[in-house]
Amino acid sequence: MNMAGDVVAGLHRLERAVLPLLEKLSSQEEIIKESGMQEVEVLHALHWLKNKGLCEVNETLFEVAELEENGAEYAKKGLPEKRFLEALKEKSLEMSELMKKAGLTKEELNASIGTLKSRNLITIGRGNETLFEITNEGRKANIPEQQLLQKLPAKTSELSQQEKKALEILKERKGIVKIAVKKAISARLTPQGRKAAADSAIKEKVVDRLTPEMIKSWESQKANLRSYNINAPVPEIFTGKKQPYRQFLDNVRKRFIGLGFKEMTGPIVESEFWNMDALFMPQFHSARDIHDAYYIKEPKYAEDLPMELVRRVKDAHEKGIAGSKGWRYSFNYRKTARLILRSHDTSISPRTLSSKELQIPGKYFQIARCFRYDVIDATHNADFDQIGGFVVGEGLNLKHLFGLLRLFAKEFCNTEQIRVAPSYFPFTEPSAALYAKHPQMGWIELAGAGIFRPEMTLPLGVEKPVIAWGIGLGRVAMFNLGLKDIRQLYSHDLEYLRNAKVL
Amino acid sequence: MPTISFSYRDFQQLLGKKLPIEEFKDLAILYAKAEVEEYNKEKDEAKMSLDDTNLPYMWCAEGLARFFRGVLGIEKGLPKFKTEESKYEIIVEPAVKKLRPSIASFIAEGKQIDKYLLEQLIQLQEKFCESYGRRRQKVSIGLYSHRKIKFPVHYKAALPESVKFEPLEMSEKLKLNEILEKHPKGRQYGWIIKEFERYPLLMDSNGEVLSLIPIINSNLTGRLAAGDKELMFEATGTDEEAVNLAANIFAQNLYERGFKISSVTINRDGKKTTTPHKFAEKTKISESDIEKLTGLKLSPAKTKELLERARYDVSGNTVTIPDYRRDILHPFDIIEDAAIMYGFNNIESEQLTSYTTGATTQMNEFADAIRGIATGLGFQEILSPILSNKAVLEEKMETTNTGIVEIENIMSETFSAARSWLTPIMLEVLSKNMHNDFPQRIFEQGTATTRKGNRISDSEKIALATSHTNADFTEIKQCLNVLMKSLGLNYALAQLNHPSFITGRCGTIKAKGKEIGIIGEVSPKVLTNWQLEMPVSAMEIDLTELKRIISTS
Repeated sequence: MNMAGDVVAGLHRLERAVLPLLEKLSSQEEIIKESGMQEVEVLHALHWLKNKGLCEVNETLFEVAELEENGAEYAKKGLPEKRFLEALKEKSLEMSELMKKAGLTKEELNASIGTLKSRNLITIGRGNETLFEITNEGRKANIPEQQLLQKLPAKTSELSQQEKKALEILKERKGIVKIAVKKAISARLTPQGRKAAADSAIKEKVVDRLTPEMIKSWESQKANLRSYNINAPVPEIFTGKKQPYRQFLDNVRKRFIGLGFKEMTGPIVESEFWNMDALFMPQFHSARDIHDAYYIKEPKYAEDLPMELVRRVKDAHEKGIAGSKGWRYSFNYRKTARLILRSHDTSISPRTLSSKELQIPGKYFQIARCFRYDVIDATHNADFDQIGGFVVGEGLNLKHLFGLLRLFAKEFCNTEQIRVAPSYFPFTEPSAALYAKHPQMGWIELAGAGIFRPEMTLPLGVEKPVIAWGIGLGRVAMFNLGLKDIRQLYSHDLEYLRNAKVL
Repeated sequence: MPTISFSYRDFQQLLGKKLPIEEFKDLAILYAKAEVEEYNKEKDEAKMSLDDTNLPYMWCAEGLARFFRGVLGIEKGLPKFKTEESKYEIIVEPAVKKLRPSIASFIAEGKQIDKYLLEQLIQLQEKFCESYGRRRQKVSIGLYSHRKIKFPVHYKAALPESVKFEPLEMSEKLKLNEILEKHPKGRQYGWIIKEFERYPLLMDSNGEVLSLIPIINSNLTGRLAAGDKELMFEATGTDEEAVNLAANIFAQNLYERGFKISSVTINRDGKKTTTPHKFAEKTKISESDIEKLTGLKLSPAKTKELLERARYDVSGNTVTIPDYRRDILHPFDIIEDAAIMYGFNNIESEQLTSYTTGATTQMNEFADAIRGIATGLGFQEILSPILSNKAVLEEKMETTNTGIVEIENIMSETFSAARSWLTPIMLEVLSKNMHNDFPQRIFEQGTATTRKGNRISDSEKIALATSHTNADFTEIKQCLNVLMKSLGLNYALAQLNHPSFITGRCGTIKAKGKEIGIIGEVSPKVLTNWQLEMPVSAMEIDLTELKRIISTS
């Protein structure tokens, strides 16, 4: 098949109809008339042919005077002044008779009187202010505006001087005519188009869609299936997709499971006991101000606290335990039962540590939605996700903690370049911060960790050392998802969600 | 986390050594749980944030310099400190015992207090009182021009209307209760003493009020100015140890700047003590504890060297804690300091060797499977904040009593409650996407929190919503069919009149006789409330309940 043949094979039914006509014709109007096709069909065909380089399309703008709603009506039943005159042709009339006969409203009547009088087409009866009479000029008169109306729509450039004047007058009146700007389209074959038009294959009947009927009768009756432009754009569809940040969290979860960690969960509404007291954070601690947590309006107090455990925690706070002085203050039972929205994910750890299900040695993690009393902006959300957990086992010490941090840097930042620095958490001693050099982001603070204080773990019934850790992946998530504003992690914008990369 | 600023030149002077700022930035992170946030070379101003909320002595240039003199080996062991005995006395009257019993004081003199030092003193005073002092409730601190005060000073309590004085920043004498109402500090801190019958105050032997405790000093004696050569320090509070700690930290700082520190006798009914208080606390640590916690085998000599760098005194296995520290509860606290001085990055890491199997929870596994079905149905997943509000959850849904758990101390109305169900969130999402292409099919799986009586519980839910010109009951029921078939579970629908949905086009979803959810076409009224112009049909299923049914069947 030659090049022209290739081109012809891909031509649509409409293109095949229009292309040969262009050998003789050029304007869209003529083509429509000649082919009997719809205007939009011809337009499509010309557009496609142009894209294939088979014709050039020229567009020129021109003005058309068109009828508006009132104009269309007047074209049919006559302008008010026209009807006014017609009604008087038989005999002079009183105003009320006239209005009735000519079908005029008061407004139309008044407007017509002005126009007709100024042109001397009527007179108003002497002595009787409401008697109207037609003049001789009136009987002969043609109203040019009416004549113009009958002629519309029309190109303004094709109107006579008189018609143009009538048009100006009608334009002043409401809802009668408007000027629309239209496109005149004409096309001319390119040399390639001429070749294609001359190709006999263009006469062949082609089929767009393969139907079940065609398949059934294929052996006896093969159809000519048109080639497609496979590069042509297609309409968009929207499929079911996971939310990008949730998927990021899903992947984090998979990593932890792969590393041998078990997932923990805990309630969103927590007592201060699990959120803070069970972590050996004294009730007077500065992080426990009303301004740091959201307090529940109703009910205010938990009724299901494990009281024996609460007493052991209370003793550790007040008097210390196993070589500790304790915080030496009076522990408040009411405060420990106060309900809040959990302010950090570590609230889940003491629940697991004191549970019968705890396995030693054991590795645990949680991905927990937490809430902190904070002004919301590009770096602070009312909700945020924390990822953390603990490792419990015989003989664990600071060296294992560092080993764990090294592992996290490798897993979540793909780096072995790390720095460990001392840090402070009320419930761990020692405490450390992990800085890791992310391949693209540079040095970031990736994790905080420590060994749970014995004052915390002993009352919970755990005698083995427990390494606690929390990993901050918010920045990594935003980096991976290309986000600048933390609020976009929970974006409600469908356009963003539909177009987000699946990592 | 406190942040402070100071002159870096001053810091280096206190350190006794030139230290390039870049080196200091590293050292701060590696040793001091602190970070240099900013250094303005022109103004010679370093801004730092301090991580350890339990170590207020580090919240100033003096404390940081003292610490780094140890780190860098310029000094070791307990820092030098000396007080002169004096005749200065504060008489504590019994009336304050129930209000604010503790007080500590000292006099510092012999050097000029310049503008910078004054700013530094006030900075530490503010940081200490706000954070460690629990916004002055636990500890508050006052600084006075010493020469204007006639000792002995009386720490007493007075009826609010019985005493008048001119507080700082005001030019008229006010009664104590008027100060609480009119003075900015009175309005800020008045809550601490407001309920008392008598207010605590300090008065000298001329009958002049020094201070309304813990609100504001007097103009006459309580204004320390640049150029003064002596000052009186006092701290009062509800916690004896914290009050003494405040005095010890300030006294140590001023001593190291070359001031002579004189002690003040605190006289309680003839029972006399002197402040600054010598805690001289000792703790024993053992090599086995060090190894147990850090994995390091340290010789006694090495341990001694490390702890002396951390400014402890060590004799045998007995460690003496500096009097400006009260954060040591357990020997582990001291061992951590040894490990820090050893250098965290010099401690080799060890891999965890014990074998454990990883797993998510059964609930999460179940929820993930359901999410898979929902995306397979062509629904876009949404993830929203859990915090929402009553207007979204109930008012716009034309419903009530969904069991909303509300927040008492809200930050913004938008986030004033935990979400009780997820369907309203789906409508909220749709309402924000009127300009985007239809059909819009969305779902969210997540936690909803509800209250029944005094019980609050979480449940995992999933809500699906479809919106386009032809969205109807049939479509959403087709989705429900797919979901339930995938779970191999039969279900039934029971007609339900729910104000959020069109009557006759809404039902309760039941499986094994248990209610597990709701399905229907959203009512035009609700759509209008959300300014939605497209039909929406939706369903919401309680996955916690659904899973329970499946695992018991």
